[in-house]
Amino acid sequence: MNKVWIISDHPETAYELAGKAKTLGTSLTAYVLGDNDVAQRVISFGADVVKLMQLPQTTVWEQYLSVLLQEAGTENPELILVASTCRGKDLAAQLAAKLDCPCVTDSKKLEEKDGKLVLQRIIYGGLAYQDIECNTFPVIVTIAPHTFEKGEPEEKQGEIFNLSLIGEGPIQVVERKAKEAASVNLAEADIVVGVGRGLTQQSGLAMFEELAKLLGGEVGCTRPIAEDLKWLPEERYLGITGKQIKPNLYLCAGVSGQIQHVYGIRESKVIVSINNNENAPIFKVSDYYIVGDLEEVIPALISALK
Amino acid sequence: MKVLVCYKWVLDEADIFVNEQDLSLNFDKAKGKINEYDRNAIELGASLKETVGCELYAATVGKGVKASVNDVLSRGPEKVFYMDSPGLDSLDSSVTARLLAAMIKKIGGIDLVICGEGSSDFYSRQVGPRIAALLGYASLSYAVDVQVNGSEIIVTRKLDDGTEVVKVSSPAVISVLPEINKPRIPSLKQILAAKKKPSTSLALEEIGLTEADLATSLTFGDVAAAIMERKRIRIDEGCQDISEAVAKLIKQLRADRVLN
Ligand SMILES: Cc1cc2nc3c(=O)[nH]c(=O)nc-3n(C[C@H](O)[C@H](O)[C@H](O)COP(=O)(O)OP(=O)(O)OC[C@H]3O[C@@H](n4cnc5c(N)ncnc54)[C@H](O)[C@@H]3O)c2cc1C
Repeated sequence: MNKVWIISDHPETAYELAGKAKTLGTSLTAYVLGDNDVAQRVISFGADVVKLMQLPQTTVWEQYLSVLLQEAGTENPELILVASTCRGKDLAAQLAAKLDCPCVTDSKKLEEKDGKLVLQRIIYGGLAYQDIECNTFPVIVTIAPHTFEKGEPEEKQGEIFNLSLIGEGPIQVVERKAKEAASVNLAEADIVVGVGRGLTQQSGLAMFEELAKLLGGEVGCTRPIAEDLKWLPEERYLGITGKQIKPNLYLCAGVSGQIQHVYGIRESKVIVSINNNENAPIFKVSDYYIVGDLEEVIPALISALK
Repeated sequence: MKVLVCYKWVLDEADIFVNEQDLSLNFDKAKGKINEYDRNAIELGASLKETVGCELYAATVGKGVKASVNDVLSRGPEKVFYMDSPGLDSLDSSVTARLLAAMIKKIGGIDLVICGEGSSDFYSRQVGPRIAALLGYASLSYAVDVQVNGSEIIVTRKLDDGTEVVKVSSPAVISVLPEINKPRIPSLKQILAAKKKPSTSLALEEIGLTEADLATSLTFGDVAAAIMERKRIRIDEGCQDISEAVAKLIKQLRADRVLN
């Protein structure tokens, strides 16, 4: 491929994409949110040109769409890799519509084979994978953070520009609030104890917390526990719309094992489940399971560990 | 204000099974349903109808979508527009957005389009922003709160690093996150009333498109189930009581070196 672009409002992902993009194209331009240091780093990971797109005070970042369209008109990029953040995905889809080209969201693969680009998506809530081939360009591909490893930085020269908006557009930003720093990082935990709606009383969370503490792990949960019941903060629910974890041990109780939840735990080394329904789908994806009432099994686990 | 909700008729993923021999998927038992994410979009439309008194329409495209008409109408919209044809199976987002945008143009006068975040089958999360770009409407994605005052729309977006409150004058396309609301379950009365509401089938030519507009340059390959090789050992089998089972589990986990 000749020209490759990357677009990212997240510096770390820009570095990951730059490393990957370098192997696919002869020239690489990166459009990133960040300062000069970020730009230098993107260059060290492979970019030839960096165009900085600062977060506008009064309008949304996606407003850069019109600038990017203008640039695409003269530069004719063949492959555009976009960081799959919220802003990134919105911008990628709009850009694809304007360029009348396909866009593949959250591709897990990015390989060149016989002049074709091989991509891969996850479908049906994590139930299956599907390869996608593309041989007409341009194409836009969004890539989630941490999909590819960051390469080794190199001494390299590149050009850096600041990009300005063309007009403010119709959307006005009234207020921005930074997210509170997360109190846990479940993705890093060695052991996660999961709780689902099989727990009928909020007070019962105490035993899950105690068990997690005994094991030196963290408590995670299913979506309804966080979103519907609000018993635990959002950052603790696991699944396709929640966190994806890869602990050594995921031990859960009262979790039915719907595909959307399982997507978040599939990288666990060992999965243990406790459920009082002999036919619970979670057993199919478990290494070990106990058919039983969590109100009995969890306390028994706690006393055995003590 | 005229509001239109887009929705997708998808196969219920809970009824798709994996053929373990060849990792193919078995769809025999899977029935259609209104994409869960779009139920939040429909609910937002229904609540705006109640609070600001807008007209509410729904639109969908795909294979076999006629079957969805009564269901969607029972959830609030007064009227539904749909395009149903065998050729519209497994549409790529680019095509879905092209068709829906053309339908919206044809219907005319739509001030606000509401979409779900994505669809539970392919989850590409593109259709809302793509429709916005095609129609020249503002795209307000990842919405967790929506306020409408006259033609002014205020949306709170939940992004990776925090929230962003934005203001725009219609027209706009809003794509909502599932947490924005809890969709109501239609009552029997609403289900019966839905049967009397109008639905309009549109053909490709009627919205000014041709077969060529259904093409995408992507080639979709075989589907392979993401099966997890798991041991599936029932620990309490043959145990006298829970404490024996628990002791056996702990021993096993220590042997596997996942527990100290
Ligand atoms: C678009 C979409 C996205 C979604 N994304 C996610 C996601 O990211 N993460 C997620 O978790 N979910 C997600 N969901 C929801 C998901 O489909 C399930 O509804 C959810 O995971 C179920 O949660 P649960 O297992 O806690 O509850 P339930 O399904 O209600 O299961 C409760 C389980 O507890 C068992 N039980 C009951 N009493 C006891 C007892 N005394 N002892 C032991 N076991 C008991 C029951 O047998 C049952 O299996 C999503 C859904 C949709 C539609």
